[in-house]
Amino acid sequence: MTESDKTERFVQQLATHQNRLYGYVFSLVGDHSRAADVLQETNIVLWRKIDEFNTDKAFLPWAFAIARFQVLAHLRDRKRDRLLLDAELAEAISSEAERQGEQLEQLHAALRPCLQSLTAGNRDLVERRYFQARSIADIAAAVDRSVSSVKVALLRSRRHLSECIQRRLAAEGEL
Amino acid sequence: MTLDLFEELESLLLDWEDGTLDEPGVRRLREILKSDDDARAHFVRLQMMNAAMKLEGDAGVFTETAQQNIGTASGDFKKPPRNVRADSNSDSLRPVRWMLAAAVLLISVLAGRLVQLELADRPDKANGNGESDATFVATTDRDESEEATSQGVALVTRLVDVAWGTDQKSLEVGDALSPGRLAISSGYAQIEFFCGATVILEGPAELDLESPVLARVLSGRLRAQVPPAARGFSLEVDDLKVVDLGTEFGLSVSEKGANVQVFDGEVELQRPASATQLLTAGKAVTREADGSFKDTEVTPDSFLDMATLESRVQGQRDERYERWRAGSESLRSDSRLIAYYAFDQTDEWNRRLSSSIEPANTELDGAIVGANRVDGRWQAKGALEFKRPGDRVRVQIPGEYGSLTFSCWVKIDSLDRWYNSLFLTDGYEKGEPHWQILDSGQLYFSVRPTEQGQQGPRDHKALSPPFWQPSLSGRWLHLATVYSVENRTISHYLNGGLLNREVIPDEQIVEKTRIGTASIGNWSLPTQPDSHFAIRNLNGSIDEFALFAAALTDIEIKEIFDNGKP
Repeated sequence: MTESDKTERFVQQLATHQNRLYGYVFSLVGDHSRAADVLQETNIVLWRKIDEFNTDKAFLPWAFAIARFQVLAHLRDRKRDRLLLDAELAEAISSEAERQGEQLEQLHAALRPCLQSLTAGNRDLVERRYFQARSIADIAAAVDRSVSSVKVALLRSRRHLSECIQRRLAAEGEL
Repeated sequence: MTLDLFEELESLLLDWEDGTLDEPGVRRLREILKSDDDARAHFVRLQMMNAAMKLEGDAGVFTETAQQNIGTASGDFKKPPRNVRADSNSDSLRPVRWMLAAAVLLISVLAGRLVQLELADRPDKANGNGESDATFVATTDRDESEEATSQGVALVTRLVDVAWGTDQKSLEVGDALSPGRLAISSGYAQIEFFCGATVILEGPAELDLESPVLARVLSGRLRAQVPPAARGFSLEVDDLKVVDLGTEFGLSVSEKGANVQVFDGEVELQRPASATQLLTAGKAVTREADGSFKDTEVTPDSFLDMATLESRVQGQRDERYERWRAGSESLRSDSRLIAYYAFDQTDEWNRRLSSSIEPANTELDGAIVGANRVDGRWQAKGALEFKRPGDRVRVQIPGEYGSLTFSCWVKIDSLDRWYNSLFLTDGYEKGEPHWQILDSGQLYFSVRPTEQGQQGPRDHKALSPPFWQPSLSGRWLHLATVYSVENRTISHYLNGGLLNREVIPDEQIVEKTRIGTASIGNWSLPTQPDSHFAIRNLNGSIDEFALFAAALTDIEIKEIFDNGKP
């Protein structure tokens, strides 16, 4: 394989698995902005290590291993920042995050019909909170409801979505 | 793990996401995660869902364009990505896709190559472009039309040779009418007001629908039939109000004036500054353009009645049936057909669904299981009704193909299942297509690219925007999906119009397709027969099904629809 073939294949793999890597990193870092930073660092490290990239070997496990290292380094370096998980906990969760990260595209596909199954009002709340990243206080003001009632509605909607997605993922295997 | 602990975890995480979780809260969350395996798995599920929602919110042009361009990895930089590192305050919506852009840019620069990245300007708000946008747009449309339906004042129940007025959206039988203008330039439309009054409108005519009991007539000729239950139904012409007291009457409005004729019962004429006038059967009155009133002759024949309209409707139906029959006859010998069922048998007892392909091949006959024979788009032809979980038509279609086109006429009663089957191969093996409708009202087509149990690319799941709305229930719809290996696209159609067209990523293209044993209207031999989601029967009827070993064009799909329109 020529160098440029290898590069092209690498870029393609990186693009294909970008969302899965994002899901993995986000699960452990718990913040979209940090997750984006860690993912970018991971991409750079992966590129630097392109010599280790073997087209016959699975890309994703290799990339997860490097992402894991980047996440742990990030959590250790930023100890003084407010973090959701500490490095120890992130390590304990890592393999579960890999397992579920592999499924992210299916999960994403299942999310759409599940969103449709929410009531229009709840879907609106979910979109404001999770798509537009509006704070619960802002949302409560915008829809003229109390903060606690918006919280309850979001918790219920998220529970509903999670169950719907799990059922669909279980059904997936049979398509 | 107790349910309470799950709930506590969910609530803590919601606060964390919102930036309002305090230090003890963070400690408590960590404590829960450290103590329990299930809690960790649940935590990851919630986080993955959050990540997926982020992707959904960010989904933009970049997704497809970038992936395609990465595939080709050549060309010039047309627009360099700007501002890749956007503001980094914690809740900013810096999209993941930009990260990918940055990564690819970095790599291509490092590799000394140029990668074409056409980065469209991205709206600041979430809810981007491309497929997901279409989904949202369609959803909004649907919500609006649901709204309209709930505000409806009348239904369109018959249409004969109607040409719609300018600015008038064309309507179909069964459509609900909201308050507002209704204009036809020719033909006849029968409108049933929700109060129970029926109006036959003769074009050219213009009405303003006000409420379920009131409309304003601007011009045109109409006949109203008002049963006792709908008494009080009124029509207004300028300041003249015609209140029906349970009857049948005619009204024609032109520049020359307004003419009211009572054929049966009585109506009240109300006008300002004047006593209410009662008009009884056999009486007619005209208000001239100058405002004066005079008695005139009753001419019931000049107002089309329901019986006559019905015979014209029947005439139109016969005509359309003949057009379908002629179209179907010529379709039968189309060499691209793999399977075609016209459902035109007359022997109701027969549990065989005859193949309609010519030259005849009885090997392709389907076996009807459970499904009852009912009327199709026309009484002259049959349909099969799929109701119970076991109802289906079994078929056996040998051979290997490339591109495929699915076309069928279906009347959906409701979408009860997660997956509502149109045509599914048994199981889901390499090269086999599945054609179904999701409960969200989206057409769904996929072909499996790998052997069972083998590693490899996932199937490409082509979803249309949601097309279904409850008001479509019980109406005959034409659905089609074209899988084009040559163009690497999947296109979905509703009633001859394109719903959407998706490009399939190279690695997910399946060049060789096959059918083998399959079911129309259901799914056979599910691997988990006892699981509730394995039930995929359609709740509705099918009265024509065609499968082609080719990618039909937009025009050909439109033609099938036009020829088969009931």
